Amino acid sequence: MNCRTVSVAGYGDDSYLCRTSSGVDSEFVRRLIRGPATTKASAWMDPSIPYTACVLGAASLYLLVRPGRPTVKVLAGLVGLTVFVWLATAAAGQLAGRGTWPEPFFLIFSVIAISAAVRMVTHTKPVYSALYFILVVLASAGMFLMLEAEFMAFALIIVYAGAILITYMFVLMLAQQAAEPGSEAEQAEYDRLPREPAAAVVVGFIMLALFTNMIFGPEDSVSQTLEPRYTEAEAATLAWNELDQMSILRDEMVDRYMEGRSPLKAEDNTSIVRVRDDGTAFVTVSPEGGAGATEDIDLPSSAKPVNVQRVGWALIAQFPVSLEVAGIILLMAMFGAVVLARRQIELGEAELHAAAGMSHYSDETDSTESDS
Amino acid sequence: MMHTAMITPASWIVPFISGADDAHGHHGDHAARVIEAATAANNLGWAGLILWLPLLSLVLCGVCAARGVKSKLPAWITVASLAASFFVTVGLYMQYDAPVTIHLFEWFNLNWSGGSFIAPFALYVDRLTLLWMLFVTGLGTLIALYASEYMEHDVGKGYTRFFAGVSVFLFAMSALVMGDNLVMLYLGWEGVGFASYWLIGYYYTKPSAVAAAKKAFIVNRIGDLGLALGLYLIYHAFGTIQYDQLFQMFQDGSAAAITEKGGWSVSAIPFLLMLGAFGKSAQIPLYVWLPDAMEGPTPVSALIHAATMVTAGVYLLIRMFPVMELHSAALPTVAWVGGLTALLAATIGMAQFDIKRIMAYSTVSQLGYMFLGVGVMTTDAAAAHVFTHAFFKAVLFLTCGAIMHGFAGQLDLRKLSGLRHMPGWRIVSYTMGYACLCLVGFPFITSGFFSKDKIMAEAFVTQGPGFVVLGVIALLTALLTAYYTFRVFFRVCMGPKHYEPGDELHGDDPAHFHPHPPRIAINFVLITICLGAFLAIFAVHKFGFLPGGDKGYAWVKASVIGSTGANGVPHGHHGETAFFADPHKWMVLAASTVTIVGMLIAFYFHLANRKAADKLRASMLANPVTAVLPKAMENKWYVDEVYHAIIRAPLWVVGHACAVFDRYVIDGLLVDGTGRCPRFLARLFQPLQNGVLQSYAVSMAGGIGLVVLLVLLMPRLLEALNAVGGTGG
Amino acid sequence: MMSTLAMDAMSSVSLAHYLTTSAILFVIGLIGFLTRRNMIVMFLCTELMFQAAAIAMIAFGRFHLDVSGQVFVIFILTIAAAEAALALGLVVLLYRRRETLSAEAWSELREA
Repeated sequence: MNCRTVSVAGYGDDSYLCRTSSGVDSEFVRRLIRGPATTKASAWMDPSIPYTACVLGAASLYLLVRPGRPTVKVLAGLVGLTVFVWLATAAAGQLAGRGTWPEPFFLIFSVIAISAAVRMVTHTKPVYSALYFILVVLASAGMFLMLEAEFMAFALIIVYAGAILITYMFVLMLAQQAAEPGSEAEQAEYDRLPREPAAAVVVGFIMLALFTNMIFGPEDSVSQTLEPRYTEAEAATLAWNELDQMSILRDEMVDRYMEGRSPLKAEDNTSIVRVRDDGTAFVTVSPEGGAGATEDIDLPSSAKPVNVQRVGWALIAQFPVSLEVAGIILLMAMFGAVVLARRQIELGEAELHAAAGMSHYSDETDSTESDS
Repeated sequence: MMHTAMITPASWIVPFISGADDAHGHHGDHAARVIEAATAANNLGWAGLILWLPLLSLVLCGVCAARGVKSKLPAWITVASLAASFFVTVGLYMQYDAPVTIHLFEWFNLNWSGGSFIAPFALYVDRLTLLWMLFVTGLGTLIALYASEYMEHDVGKGYTRFFAGVSVFLFAMSALVMGDNLVMLYLGWEGVGFASYWLIGYYYTKPSAVAAAKKAFIVNRIGDLGLALGLYLIYHAFGTIQYDQLFQMFQDGSAAAITEKGGWSVSAIPFLLMLGAFGKSAQIPLYVWLPDAMEGPTPVSALIHAATMVTAGVYLLIRMFPVMELHSAALPTVAWVGGLTALLAATIGMAQFDIKRIMAYSTVSQLGYMFLGVGVMTTDAAAAHVFTHAFFKAVLFLTCGAIMHGFAGQLDLRKLSGLRHMPGWRIVSYTMGYACLCLVGFPFITSGFFSKDKIMAEAFVTQGPGFVVLGVIALLTALLTAYYTFRVFFRVCMGPKHYEPGDELHGDDPAHFHPHPPRIAINFVLITICLGAFLAIFAVHKFGFLPGGDKGYAWVKASVIGSTGANGVPHGHHGETAFFADPHKWMVLAASTVTIVGMLIAFYFHLANRKAADKLRASMLANPVTAVLPKAMENKWYVDEVYHAIIRAPLWVVGHACAVFDRYVIDGLLVDGTGRCPRFLARLFQPLQNGVLQSYAVSMAGGIGLVVLLVLLMPRLLEALNAVGGTGG
Repeated sequence: MMSTLAMDAMSSVSLAHYLTTSAILFVIGLIGFLTRRNMIVMFLCTELMFQAAAIAMIAFGRFHLDVSGQVFVIFILTIAAAEAALALGLVVLLYRRRETLSAEAWSELREA
């Protein structure tokens, strides 16, 4: 076998791959598996870490999903959580240096969310599943808070945990036969036995591997291309610009901080709130008493619009049509729910015709029967 | 519409005519005549009535059939249409001046760069056309009149169908004869074949009639294939299929140039046309359908299978005579096939007992004479024999039909005798007698004598491979003809009165059977056609006082000279010798002698001493060596059996092998197999459609995963391929 | 002063962390949907997948300084609510017909 030694910058001697090259080009296979020879310097993570995590997670989740002994399940759950923490730590280590742990709150919320989700999927009692889902929602709300989406966090708790999940609970109560507490055997068979757990876990974790490849992959990953690196000044500039567009809020702020002096528009455009390069904002106001030089008055940082204000503004200014459509969807869903939930009345042929105003279409046998 | 490309064949025969006979003094003003004809052509559209009237008759017969007419109305419609058609033909004949093309409407008109294919629906009228059309429409009218009485048993049943078939036949035959181009000829050719099939199978409840119809159709297909290929090769070689352009090329010599460099595809043309003619005109090897075609009603046998359709082959050869000369071996082949057919059919005819079948073999035999005539370059004699044969053979068949009609289908000459003495059968007997005389060529008082005599004489005169032998064969055939013809006549019409009814009794009691003699229509037709057979003497012999008959020429000969068959008319070889004298002179004597000897033999065996014939037959059959001859002749030389063995049986085997192949390989493996493939594949994937939501979801998620994997891998795959191609390659 | 982005303080929690969490939640929801037979739990699993999508949206919006992410989540909530109303109505209807919540009770369209 003629073994070609391929030496590519960054990978050194790859000749070991040639040992198995019987007709298959080793270089081709290597590149297909490990990507191009010239990897980017900013590669975050050795891809073997997330893949290993996926395999281990899949194994543990499989053990959790299929019916088995509780001890096995507990062990499997522990393994899965460890894997996740290891993965998160590894990611944080790649980001900020070896030995760094991720933010503890993130770790807490995500561990709660993931374990609650696993429990929700694996629990044989649907009511418990719903309760665990509430836990997931609460943990997600925590993460939302970390992400400075305070309005969404509370909206989530109110709408999801408060309304939707309660609806689920009601339906579950309606549909579920009363079972003796604690007797697993009396659970409905379709709750006790999962359907094709192996296939589902394999498919699911293949998808997860693909996601992690996109997130942590050596090149073109989401994290590398989409990870923003805004400076504080740039972020502040965005916020001030938004404030400038929200005319009512802006006027309120100008009134509050400008002590009654009327603001002047900038020469170049219509903006009132203007931003310096360092991210601080000021408003040019007319001279006191109507004469003299103009004066720039700084706006304090607290004058910036808060999250709720920005979301509301985005909804109204950017997505008005979508908002209307969402309203219509909700209306239709309400109609649908009303129609579906009505009591179904079994009608005979003649009654159907009568209800449709077509009583004369009822065939002759019916009429003779009614005559006799 | 103004398609007036003027006719040229007249102009190319003029030198020959003037060379042959100085009495033709008007060749100088020929051009003027052509121009006159050109202007007249536009006014000749009414000639199309010759075609349209039978077609109208067909339509009216169809209406009658739809209305369920239960009278003789269809017959009168047909007779009237055909009579009108005949009178139009006569009118055209009176108007005739020079060959003319009568354009009726556009048919095929295809033009492309470097070529064209033009076949208008047009009539080409020259003397030959008129000759044929006169006897076709005339005899058609008379025989339709005859059939109106003959077919009366079927009034309300098949009567309308019969006359519709006759109308179709007349239309197709007119198109065949009058067509301006070979496509119209082919239309008519196939049309008459179809009409023949239609009418042979008229008694479709009779298995033998159905078989005969199929046989006729299939055997004709072989010939038609030859004709179609011939037409194609003519178009291929000469670029046109219109007579005027085609024969113009033969006249001005451009055809000769094409012939020289044409190779086999040009040489093959005459042989292919010949094959077509052999099929339609029942020559060896395709004659076998005609005797069986007698299963049709007798008027059909008389009209289609004796007088008109079967002469289409002769017409084709005379019409395409210049084309037949493209290969030097073509005409001798025709001559030999014709001569051998004449002899073979005559020998078979000698040993048959069914008088209609004897007449059928006699038709084949006489057609052989006609082909012999064409082959030995005497197209005028061939045409003359067609003309006379049309009359006397029609009479013979019609008398047979009358006998069949009167004696409940009896046609066996051993079971009929002394017809002459029966009340009401006198006319039938005498017309039959005269027609028999015509058929055998009784000297001087019959038209058949003159036409047949000419053919036999030319066989001795014309130089060709073994033509002298052919002449001897023709003479021998004449002897046999005289014998078997008068065998019929002496047996049936003469002698003591005796008859046995046939099997078509229509419910009569055979013990109290009385023959019902023919009535007015049949008798009238018999006498008329018989008179025509007599008057044909003046058409085929040199009297020259008929309109259009040139001085010094018989009318028919003048007709052929005025047509594309003129090259085949012998001229100026009086004085040649064969057997120490000019055959034209001694043939009169020889033919007369042979005929009378044959008649005398028939007289001895079948009238004077009928027991001698039976004794001779018995003694021949007793000896195994001599028994071969009568047995073979009675069994038609076993030709049908031989065909069965060498053609039908292998085809049967091949056909059944193909059927098996079709059923198990084409149908079973390919068609059903293809159909089973999707089913098999479906079975493979059917478990996926298990109706369980989660299974579908797994498939969906897996599919998404695959797509994402592909999207992720694709750039890497391309990059790897590029890199390998760059470094490794 | 508390920085707006808190890049320094939160530098060890990146977009990748949130996306990973979101992906894991989504896959768990998917697996739940594929394995559970109870129709209500299956719908719960779809809600879990919605939840995962919402986390990804908000994380993206946060790291891109764009509130559209949160607006999308509002719509997700809307759709989830509508879906819950309709789906649960349907489930109740189906339960009335067959007295079972098993999705496998409804497989008339199967071919195998």
